[in-house]
Amino acid sequence: MGGRGPFTGTVVTLLLDRRLDGPVTLSDNVSDDAWSALTADLDALLRRVAHRDPEAFAALYDATRSRVYGMVARVLRDRGYSEETTQDVYLQVWRTAESYDPASGSALAWLLTLAHRRAVDRVRAEQAASQRDSRYGAATVERATDQVSDAVISGEERRRVTECMAGLTELQRECIELAYYRGLTYVQVSERLSANLATVKSRMRDGLRGLRNCLGAG
Amino acid sequence: MNPFSDSTADLVELAVPYALHAMPDEERDSLESRVANAGSAVADAFYDEVRAVRETMAAVSATTAEEPPAELRGRLLSAIADDNVRVLPSGPRRRPAWMATAAAVAIGLAAAGIGLSLRPPAPLPSTAQQVFAATDVNTISGAIPAGGTATVVFSRDRNAGVLVMNDVPPPAPGTVYQMWLVSDGTTTSAGTMDAEAVAPSTTAVLDNLGDSTKLAFTVEPGSGSTQPTGPLIAELPLI
Repeated sequence: MGGRGPFTGTVVTLLLDRRLDGPVTLSDNVSDDAWSALTADLDALLRRVAHRDPEAFAALYDATRSRVYGMVARVLRDRGYSEETTQDVYLQVWRTAESYDPASGSALAWLLTLAHRRAVDRVRAEQAASQRDSRYGAATVERATDQVSDAVISGEERRRVTECMAGLTELQRECIELAYYRGLTYVQVSERLSANLATVKSRMRDGLRGLRNCLGAG
Repeated sequence: MNPFSDSTADLVELAVPYALHAMPDEERDSLESRVANAGSAVADAFYDEVRAVRETMAAVSATTAEEPPAELRGRLLSAIADDNVRVLPSGPRRRPAWMATAAAVAIGLAAAGIGLSLRPPAPLPSTAQQVFAATDVNTISGAIPAGGTATVVFSRDRNAGVLVMNDVPPPAPGTVYQMWLVSDGTTTSAGTMDAEAVAPSTTAVLDNLGDSTKLAFTVEPGSGSTQPTGPLIAELPLI
């Protein structure tokens, strides 16, 4: 065994080919303002959800559903599982919104962390149950068909993030891909890439730092 | 040598796979204790890195966004309309609450080995059945920092509740855990739990909730106290 899986390269490409055509003209101020406004709104909504406000919950869902579902679907690669997991995520949000602490990060990061945890747990459970990699080893990824509204995530924002992703080295991207979207542990990533652990850890770290610097986030 | 001694760099390097959920659960748990034992400077560096990674991945979620099926919205809204389960936020733990995956929720802070035990279950079915059948039944649940979960199902109409404890470690020798119904200005004992009462799952009935607003848990010496004297280890709001 060892060696990379057959789909590693595909996954990276899939992430990148969401890039929109045309020159990247960043107007950072606008983006940053939009980002700040989004995170501030979500903070406020989440606080209202903690007080059992169903309208705030619906608004929070509408503002974040495409990010949550899209990430979960990328990890699970199965519509049925993704829908179930997304439902579980938001039910957990309803029940545990009080545990969100703004001092620990943005509401969006809290939500996506929770969602990613559940998606990874689910993909690992399904893999363990099947004992085969057939379902999850397949390179087929169901692509998004519905366009996400520009009001929720602007094309410019996507372009900017995709550009940042493209600025990473291939190995950095692969490490992040396999760990974040395939639910592999960093030890499994090193096996999959036939790279030593120290290399994988440092590529992950460098990749994340590169992204962070590029995005100006965190 | 301190078995927990780790170099700061080693620990902080693991912050990225930790934040990406890219390690087995056992390793994650062990890493958390190593970080907790490494001092606040290391812990700050570690969790700063974790936070930065998670903010970054939140931004990256723009690139994978996809609309969920439209019917999911209606299903969720009706699910929450009927849902009255609340899980409490973490107590004063070092670890930021949002990292606790929210499934586990702490009620207060307990040093090593502190848990809860219950008075042996009283013969209770009728009260429990009444509570569960009540139209105003509420559920509140929280994880005990030392391990295990406390859940109270209660009804104001029935003036009663049922406490269920799961996987709670036994109290330190010579002490018991005591439950208290707390209302404005008064604290009434709702029973004690010793080591023998601790089982994988223990149930107790809370009769006469009165106008209590909280169920509190303390550690008390011997077989319990008439008023709380020991440290408060957990609290569940009965509202």
